[in-house]
Amino acid sequence: MRNKQKKQTGKAYPSGFGKALQKDLKKNAFAYWLLVPVLLWYIVFCYAPMWGVLLAFKDYKPLLGFGKSQWVGFKHFKDFLSGPYFGRTVINTFMLNIWGLAFGFTSPIILALLLNEIKAMKFKKIVQTITYMPHFISLVVICGMIHIFTQSGGILTQLVNWITGTEHASLLGYANMFRPIYTFSGIWQNIGWDSIIYLSAMSSIDPGLYEAAEIDGAGRFRKMWHVTLPQISPTIIILFIFAVGGLMASGHEKIILLYNSLTYETADVIASYVYRRGLQEASYSFATAVGLISSVVNFLLLWITNKVSKKYSEISIF
Amino acid sequence: MKRKVISLLLAATMTIGLLAGCGSGSGDTTGADTGTDSAADAQTQTEDQADEEGQEETAPETESASGAEDLTSLRGNTAPTEDEINKVNTTLNDTYLGDVFEKTIPNNYAAYPWKEEVTLDVWMANNSILASVCPDLNEHRVFKQLEEMTGIKLNFIVPALGEEATEFNLMIASGELPDIIMGAGRYTGGIAAGVSEGAYMDLTDIVDEYMPNYSAWRNSDEERRKTTVTDEGVIGGVYGIAPYNEWCWFGLLIKQEALDKTGLPVPETIDELHDFLVACKEAGYNEPLNYGSTYGQIFTGIINGAYGVWDWMFVDDDGKAAWGPEQEGAKEYLTTMQNWYKEGLINKDWATADFNQRMAEAVSDDCAVMMDSPDTMWGYWKEDNNIDFVAALNPVLNKGDASRQTYRNFKQTGSIAAITTQCENVEAACAFLDFAYTKKGWELYNYGSYGDVHLINEEGLPYFPTDGLMYNDPEEQPLSNLIWKYRLHDVADIRDEHNSNPLITAEGSYSGDIRDYWTNNMDSSVTMPPVTFTAEESAREGELGTILSTMRNEYFSKIIMGQLPVDAYDEFLASAKAQGSDEFVALWQAALDRYNAR
Repeated sequence: MRNKQKKQTGKAYPSGFGKALQKDLKKNAFAYWLLVPVLLWYIVFCYAPMWGVLLAFKDYKPLLGFGKSQWVGFKHFKDFLSGPYFGRTVINTFMLNIWGLAFGFTSPIILALLLNEIKAMKFKKIVQTITYMPHFISLVVICGMIHIFTQSGGILTQLVNWITGTEHASLLGYANMFRPIYTFSGIWQNIGWDSIIYLSAMSSIDPGLYEAAEIDGAGRFRKMWHVTLPQISPTIIILFIFAVGGLMASGHEKIILLYNSLTYETADVIASYVYRRGLQEASYSFATAVGLISSVVNFLLLWITNKVSKKYSEISIF
Repeated sequence: MKRKVISLLLAATMTIGLLAGCGSGSGDTTGADTGTDSAADAQTQTEDQADEEGQEETAPETESASGAEDLTSLRGNTAPTEDEINKVNTTLNDTYLGDVFEKTIPNNYAAYPWKEEVTLDVWMANNSILASVCPDLNEHRVFKQLEEMTGIKLNFIVPALGEEATEFNLMIASGELPDIIMGAGRYTGGIAAGVSEGAYMDLTDIVDEYMPNYSAWRNSDEERRKTTVTDEGVIGGVYGIAPYNEWCWFGLLIKQEALDKTGLPVPETIDELHDFLVACKEAGYNEPLNYGSTYGQIFTGIINGAYGVWDWMFVDDDGKAAWGPEQEGAKEYLTTMQNWYKEGLINKDWATADFNQRMAEAVSDDCAVMMDSPDTMWGYWKEDNNIDFVAALNPVLNKGDASRQTYRNFKQTGSIAAITTQCENVEAACAFLDFAYTKKGWELYNYGSYGDVHLINEEGLPYFPTDGLMYNDPEEQPLSNLIWKYRLHDVADIRDEHNSNPLITAEGSYSGDIRDYWTNNMDSSVTMPPVTFTAEESAREGELGTILSTMRNEYFSKIIMGQLPVDAYDEFLASAKAQGSDEFVALWQAALDRYNAR
């Protein structure tokens, strides 16, 4: 497949994208058919429902339907932006995601680099299996385990007590503990799973590069630094751009399972606040307005990161 | 109400695993068979009888049963014959049922069996208990029997477990409505919104004609009448109505052994409670008081009530709506709790503990006093660990003060059923719902079938005999599950929780006595009645409510934990005012005024 494509690129294409596409469609019809379900999925689930953002500007009542619900303009946006917890929830959302970027994003790369150095296959397999097992445990169970580990006599609490030399109640009751607990439990959950993509990127590195480096006298660390990392950097950068694009987004499930009134200060994010509001009354329009704001900010962040990346590393997603 | 259901669900899921099985399982087939075998001939018999009655629809209540055979001999009968069992289970004869409540339950059966072939679509939410005892609601033994007695066929539409809210909203949004919705109160904005937005039928004008029993029952008492109508005087649903105010179910529970060890009496005042907790601590209970809240206050006001700092909205001595957290005694209350926490009298993890952790702490040797439901603690303490316990009233500040609490359901319990605007046979839908408010309906919904599940005592009140199915389930499901298997726990009916909840009536259980004691010895006049908001009010109330509760939870729990000084309360009060706590109270006051004017 790869070779064939190379040959094709060798030939001069007729000028113009349209013509090129036409020709390619004929040549690789089967490959294009494979694309159809994916396109359909995007159309049905991502593009078709997009007009629903209009709900953000209405006071939507399900039974009245879209047409009969009242237009209210920017009321819901104002509600959200002028609320007393707007600033705090935005900062918390950002902070949790930045912690996630700093630790949660880097740790699978480090794990993958380390695993790549292990030559004993059996040991490597065992480590991989153990690290990605937590990924398959239900979130509710994970949070139940975190509760047990962090309660006043829990193993983590004892560890913290031993390090700091003071007695602690449940660690989940301290605002300054929430971000570490949230982030590092996230690493425990996902490190193995997330490292798979890097490992697969590493497996396609040309062994000749390592041989050349060895001849030049590079040791293990040098090889890692000068061969492996640059070779997987496109993967890392693309994933990083996506991660930055998700800075304003955060799943509320794990937060709701772990937070409480003592940790609102650091744990209450946009999604959990909207959830608490939505729970009392199904305010569809309000939730849509908040979702729209988050999406716009996310898009801007993604666009900026992409631009920067394009300029400095020549890798970009569009 | 919601909290009660949640705690029951939790209790059930914690103590047991989910077992599969259905009401029509192997063991109880004998009972069910005798019911259906004789159904055919009994049916003809009832039809004749009812046809006669059908002639004169306005017949007074007593006459409807006058033609029937006298079955009062069944009172106190512990071994009824097959014939007698059939008569009870398949005919509309109710002569054996006594008038056991303050108000007589109506018994106008003129509409049954229903005059024509009809099938009603009923939407009813599932719950984990119901799902574990009966996967298919259409096969539920009580509904089966109900279909036979009323001649109205039911087709249940049951949403996937855990998806009730989503599926309900989708159903409303789709505009495709069934005939009847059980649990109609979940409509955004409540019943009033459901009617005004055109989903639910306005029953105001037809309730007297089509639902004589419901109408008589709801008008039998001022509280019942008031709580089952909207502010505008619209009857938009058929409400579950209890024969009495259901017992308070949450309060202070003390291990008997802690009283024995310390040699102290049951504490009555805050100071006595403090001294008792200190004595417990000295006696080896490391965290004597298990503070039963995630944010520092209890909705029935167990400690905060003494200071008048009720959990949320309440009715003050002048009959005005008031917001608990802004009451004068708040600082005093917070100081007390902060000190208790410092002294190590409260469990360290009170703010973060989940149900599992709380129950683990409760049964440990560190805990002497719990704040919880006696039904739950009867299971965890007495049944599982043989720990006896006694109840204390909510402590007061000065000895001799009246103990107060904020739990009262105004005789309105269970679910609300609504007939939708798309119902094709409103008369039949009314007749089906109305049956629940007859004597026979009261018996069937609460106590299930006669003979195998319940018998009738000397006063004419049904009960679950110790050798009956309720206490000897062939599938060995726990009692907490059987509340949905042989009877219906939470529907629109005359909900007789005190006499028909097997958890309360089980031999040896004193949780009912405790709840009775609390209810009759504590003043509940501060309780906010079930007021309703208009659509705009409701949106604003929701918005302010979220802001204020976030603020209250955060400040109160941090102050009690000692992470903030008590003086931070002033800051809390200032920001609450700035965010519109006065407007919030005004909204409630307006709703309360409308409620009082109903």
